[in-house]
Amino acid sequence: MAWSRKSAMFASLAAALYLLGLVLRNQQLVTVAVVFLSFLTYAAFRTSHADVAATGRRMEDQDFDEGAEFRNLNAMRQLSQARVFEDSDIDVTLRIQNLSNLSRILEVRDSVPEVMRVKKGANYALMELGGRRETELKYTLECPLRGFYTVGPVAVRVQDTFGLFHREKEIHLYDDFLVFPKMEDVKDAFVKSRVPKIFTGAVNIRQPGEGSNFYNLREYVPGDPMRKVNWKAYARSGKMMVNDFERDAVSDIILIIDSRNVSETGPVSRNSLVYSTRAAASLAQYFLSRRDSVGLVIYGDEIVSVDRDTGKKQLYILLTKLAGAMARGNTPLKVVTNRIMPHINKGSPIIILSPLEDDPTVVDAVRDFRAREFDVTLLSPSSLEFEFDARRLDRTGYEVLKTERDILISELRGLGANVMDWEPDMLLSTALAGARGF
Amino acid sequence: MTVSSDTAHLYDGKTVRSGAPSRKHAAGKMTSSVEIPKDAIPEVNIPSFVESLFGGPLVPKMKFLPAAKNVQNLQFASAGAMVVLAVLTYIVTPQVGTPWFAFGNLLGIPAIGTALHVLIILGSIMTGFWGVFQRDARFLLASYVLFILISLRFAASTVTFSADLLPDSEGAQKSLLVLYAVFLVMYIELSNGVIRFSMLDTSIRTGEVYVMNEKKVLSRYQASLILTPLIAGTVAFLTLFVNVIIPWFIGIIDDTAAQRMSESVELTSVYGVALGTMLVFLVVAGMFAINLPLRIQQFREQSDE
Repeated sequence: MAWSRKSAMFASLAAALYLLGLVLRNQQLVTVAVVFLSFLTYAAFRTSHADVAATGRRMEDQDFDEGAEFRNLNAMRQLSQARVFEDSDIDVTLRIQNLSNLSRILEVRDSVPEVMRVKKGANYALMELGGRRETELKYTLECPLRGFYTVGPVAVRVQDTFGLFHREKEIHLYDDFLVFPKMEDVKDAFVKSRVPKIFTGAVNIRQPGEGSNFYNLREYVPGDPMRKVNWKAYARSGKMMVNDFERDAVSDIILIIDSRNVSETGPVSRNSLVYSTRAAASLAQYFLSRRDSVGLVIYGDEIVSVDRDTGKKQLYILLTKLAGAMARGNTPLKVVTNRIMPHINKGSPIIILSPLEDDPTVVDAVRDFRAREFDVTLLSPSSLEFEFDARRLDRTGYEVLKTERDILISELRGLGANVMDWEPDMLLSTALAGARGF
Repeated sequence: MTVSSDTAHLYDGKTVRSGAPSRKHAAGKMTSSVEIPKDAIPEVNIPSFVESLFGGPLVPKMKFLPAAKNVQNLQFASAGAMVVLAVLTYIVTPQVGTPWFAFGNLLGIPAIGTALHVLIILGSIMTGFWGVFQRDARFLLASYVLFILISLRFAASTVTFSADLLPDSEGAQKSLLVLYAVFLVMYIELSNGVIRFSMLDTSIRTGEVYVMNEKKVLSRYQASLILTPLIAGTVAFLTLFVNVIIPWFIGIIDDTAAQRMSESVELTSVYGVALGTMLVFLVVAGMFAINLPLRIQQFREQSDE
């Protein structure tokens, strides 16, 4: 049984008055002290001594767990979804059962992740729960930031009516869910591979081959299928002419995300890592939708990579990795390039998302990529802008850092990389177009 | 990519613009000061010691919604209890033995002592009224302090009252004393309840807390408001009437000893009350030692099955 500040105040006041009453020979003070003490004692007696030990179970497990020892109180929780995108909502249903025959007044608080807001309903309830009764607490959580989250534990408090004493118990009931970075609709990423794979895809490359778009006319050579013959051209020129089509193909796309400590500079929901993960998710969806293979490398304190693959399953694998990206460590980009370069096809498009700060190896790394004819696109969410927006950076500091950053970007552009200094309010499509000089 | 306004709560206490200014624009407007802007540091409210006694930041910082019916009832109940308490305080607390009485005598103007005595009682009423109806915990605290301050005096060992018109019988005097003590505790509890239920009501109406069976929760509180003072008063009676109870038990064995005990100055004085308190709370401690509350609870649960 825990004491509240109020009961502690009552008790100390009672003790002080009692002693003062004896010292001053004042029956009035002693009487007041005795009434205070009686008040406290009775409240302590009345505080329910019911054991609030409880077992948490998911609702769906309940039927299969008959043997579990439920005593007095039981809590079960159900989430509407286990995976959502940023800015989506999750409906939580918490069921509280009173297995005892006696009714009791309970305070129930379901712990929710700090960054989340209860949009509808309440995760905190005060209730009079009758004997052998159960009740449901429903609320909606708004998920503004990507990540792995847990709802729980459930804190249950039983206290006397005056709020003097209470008993508290945490019901260890946890439910995990995943918030994926939100995605932006990308119309065109302006990224094409110079070394397409042999499989047919949705990307036109400027080479003749199997595809849907017209490329040119050429003279018929034996073996050409008759359906390719352009009869009008034959009629005009008297020579057998056939249509050539632009080759549609798939590419390997490598997304590299900088998740070093420095990438989280800025407000919690507006920093380089948040923008990078959202951009990577959008790009992954775009490339996978046109049947490209997309691989992912996230580097921070370690290098996490997802091998190239295609399809919807790959998208969810990538989104899960992006959701879990944490700003840690300070691995240089050069280490990453050295590690991955042998494993990727020469000339594949590489998209790097990095604030470009605190890494002296960036230029070398990009030079290496370019030397091997990789098509490098570098989107750099500027943490300077985030800091400046949040008014954490003064003008002089901003100008100096911005100049340094501009010099670095110019140097990288000089190496043939497509670099975009991505300002916070710029759409991803605009940034991608900007990187290509549009 | 734009940031959804739904994440606005993450910027509590700070003003963050949605877009970055252009460098030229910023360069023209920003000051050269390198100080951290005030709005860049989130406000942190750490409750002071006094605030912590009320269980958090003092409530005047919190804006209550207009009082709900149950809060209004509590306000009237605590105002009523306070008025009764003030009258009882005036009756059971003579100014003799108080520091202000000594001060008045020292100056040779006893009226000063009387005036201060009445002023303190009036002060406790006025701060109490303001605290209760404005739901301002600071004034309530001041009122409690004044109500306790007035009873701090050197006194005769037995009960003495300031009003002569009161009954002389020991039983009636002690009953009045118990009544005073019960009203003091009830006033503190009721006025505290005004703040507690205002906070709860505001939380309910702003959707922060959901309350199920609100009427039952309130009816339990109201029942406790009646039952608890009765029990506390009874215990106080037992301790105050120790000079009657102990001799009654002794009388079973020896009438003469019982007679002597009942006339004993020690038993009728404050030290007798102390002895009574000790005996009563020994019994209470015994109840806790055998874990009686838990056993009662278990018995109730079993009897319901």
